[in-house]
Amino acid sequence: MSTERNMEKFSPATDIVESEQGFYMYMDLPGVSKEALAIDLDENTLIVSGKAAVTPDTDEKYIDQEFCEGEYSRKFTIADVVDRENIKANHKNGVLELFLPKKAEVQPLKIQITNE
Amino acid sequence: MVIDFDSFYNFPYEFDKIFSDVFNPHHQRRRKASYPPLNIVEDKNNIYVRAEVPGISIEDMEITITDKDLVLKGQRKLPEGRYFRQERPSGVFQRIVSINTTVDVAKVTASTKDGILNIVLPKSEASVPRKVGITVE
Repeated sequence: MSTERNMEKFSPATDIVESEQGFYMYMDLPGVSKEALAIDLDENTLIVSGKAAVTPDTDEKYIDQEFCEGEYSRKFTIADVVDRENIKANHKNGVLELFLPKKAEVQPLKIQITNE
Repeated sequence: MVIDFDSFYNFPYEFDKIFSDVFNPHHQRRRKASYPPLNIVEDKNNIYVRAEVPGISIEDMEITITDKDLVLKGQRKLPEGRYFRQERPSGVFQRIVSINTTVDVAKVTASTKDGILNIVLPKSEASVPRKVGITVE
């Protein structure tokens, strides 16, 4: 495989789910190991990038190819309600799960009604 | 809220995307391909079938092999909730790979790593040329 193809860039498919506590982001990054993954937070921008592992160059011959190695990279703009200090990331089975908690003051508060 | 502004405001990015779509037909093909995308590779002794299956554990997949076909079946379930953005595919999938050479069905193995499924189909001795010695890994 040529180096040019190895450098191919992909935007990973991402799901964003909201809950009361914050936002969950799920990103498909097949072939990217935990070590090859980088998550950067630059003020309001969250940048996720990673490189899918290149298979060792052996005498393997491709019969059919539908996916290839490449670089994943994607930028997200994060709103002020996100508590930047407590962003959690978990990587499993080629899926990156990010949890972006909402700041305590924006979480819905339940007001107790008293009977007097 | 988490908003991805890229597609609206980032003109250089859009331009790059159009550029790469035009000059990189591989990229285009990738989107249209059936799910999951497969790579089929062979070397002297084995045939490797690799699939991109992020988020699917090996227990959620069923791999069946006969003398002629390799069938990969499974279901991808996504977490429930209020979706702001939904791009990842989900649902039931099946892919059938016909094998045109004789493989040793009993010795087929499968493993997953970082969302890539790797199925190793050893070629049966009859289909491996005699003069080739069996390599030790």
